Amino acid sequence: MNLRLLRQTLRWNRIRLLAVLVAAFGWGLLIPIVYSQFSEAFRDLVESGIIPENLMNFGSGSLFSLPGALTLGLQHPLAIAFFGIFAVGSTTGAIAGEREKGTLEVLLARPISRVTLYITLAVAILILLTLVMIALLGGQVAGIAIQGLTDELEVGAMPLVLANGLLLWGAFAAFGLAASVSFDRHAPALGLSMAFLLVNYFLEILGSLWTDVAWSQEYSLFHHFQPGEILEGNADPIDFLILGVAMLVPVVYALIVFPRRDLAAPA
Amino acid sequence: MQSEPRPPAISTDRLTKHYGPVRALEELTLDVNHGEIFGFLGPNGAGKSTLIRTLLGFLHPTAGSAQVLGLDIVADTVEVRRRTGYLPGGIALYDSLSGEAALDYLSDLQGAKPVRRDELCSGCQMPASVLRRKVRDYSRGMRQKIGVIQALQHDPELAILDEPTEGLDPLMQQAFYRLMEELRTAGRTIFFSSHVLSEVERICDRVAIIRAGHLMALQDVDELLARRKRHIQLRWRGAAPDLSGVPGLADVKVEGDRISATLLGEVAPFVRAVASPALVDLTIEPARLEDAFLEYYAEDEPAEQVRQ
Repeated sequence: MNLRLLRQTLRWNRIRLLAVLVAAFGWGLLIPIVYSQFSEAFRDLVESGIIPENLMNFGSGSLFSLPGALTLGLQHPLAIAFFGIFAVGSTTGAIAGEREKGTLEVLLARPISRVTLYITLAVAILILLTLVMIALLGGQVAGIAIQGLTDELEVGAMPLVLANGLLLWGAFAAFGLAASVSFDRHAPALGLSMAFLLVNYFLEILGSLWTDVAWSQEYSLFHHFQPGEILEGNADPIDFLILGVAMLVPVVYALIVFPRRDLAAPA
Repeated sequence: MQSEPRPPAISTDRLTKHYGPVRALEELTLDVNHGEIFGFLGPNGAGKSTLIRTLLGFLHPTAGSAQVLGLDIVADTVEVRRRTGYLPGGIALYDSLSGEAALDYLSDLQGAKPVRRDELCSGCQMPASVLRRKVRDYSRGMRQKIGVIQALQHDPELAILDEPTEGLDPLMQQAFYRLMEELRTAGRTIFFSSHVLSEVERICDRVAIIRAGHLMALQDVDELLARRKRHIQLRWRGAAPDLSGVPGLADVKVEGDRISATLLGEVAPFVRAVASPALVDLTIEPARLEDAFLEYYAEDEPAEQVRQ
């Protein structure tokens, strides 16, 4: 790993990181408040039959329990956007984007191997994702404390939630980097990575809203991110294993393909 | 005690690079000696950048081998890049950084102190006030100057420059030539590609001419020029002189009092033959590398070339 490159990569992301951290913390803070203030009102709505009960199950989350609400907050499109900025946007731009701009040429003219470059970028992305996850979970913990809900879940299990979340977003980031090393232009890498993310998300949400195709959730990486289960003391090691493998496969692919690729002159 | 002979700065042995059916380099064999300025000539698409990119590890050879500073370009590619300076053709820089920050960043990544930066900035007329501006505000020529500085600021043993004067104004080109000559005096090796024949003729010790991936010529510039025809024009008073015995003289045309011809080889026999009070005017155009270059490119393309 190259520390100078790592520092510079983080520095280049600092402004959007700051914006995302503030937004993620605020969003995390809001979830326990929404749960505390509106959970009963939503339950009344569902029981009145105005809203179908299925619509209250979004992904693996639910508004009727604190762990379910926290899961909902972590699987909400807003949270996906926070993480996606780095797991998809930054990863695909890191190599394919630099290659398209021509700056990868200047970088690789230095005594840096492609493996070192890949590992450095992967570590930088992992640091960014960790910070976003900490901000979001930190916001949730703060919200729980403010609302006095600490007795409703095991806050001490948060590090496991963090690990589970990092494996999920690490898998998407690894896919993004694998796409990034495979293309000479940013757009195809971005498109493919975005499609991968959206298909996974679609399968998870579809299965949660439509019971006839509930099986589709099993094929989504999001379904193996289960903060609610973890916070209720029901962490499943298989979820961690599946996400770990999903992260490892693109990493191995990239480490094989990238050093062997020809990098022709940028167009 | 006899020391081991120093390996060439660059040595390729039947180096070949194919992109699918496209033959970008075909069994290229050449040596670049230490301390020389070596010009690599060819039009766009001839394979110049492909060779450079292969030497620096951006491309993997299809066949053959090459060494840079005695290091294998495949196995020791990181070390090769540690000891060289590289200016890519049409360099792209980090727009969000200032010129100075970009140079600092690239110098740090190089892992070597920018011992020549001040001298280069001065030579390239890049004062501190300009270096403090963002790269995005630079003109093309200024970016090229930053490119040259970043390639040479750590005083590499070997500089590989891909069309280095592209985008530089004539004054800066002159400054660049002076810089190259200073580096040669300091014992550094310069390998640069170009399709500007006049600059190669002016500063290079040796030149290789490449055509569709094939090496067409590899010679001292002086030797190459000596082998070129000079164009001669003279005005003569009275009957035309007998020039039939002058070695190398050809294409003699007499039009009134004007005689034109071409001369290959030494000038002295010709000068002796025309040394007469009847000689009114004499013009001997210097041999131009351009003629040599065009000669290599005027021939029909080899059948197996470029694409099968």
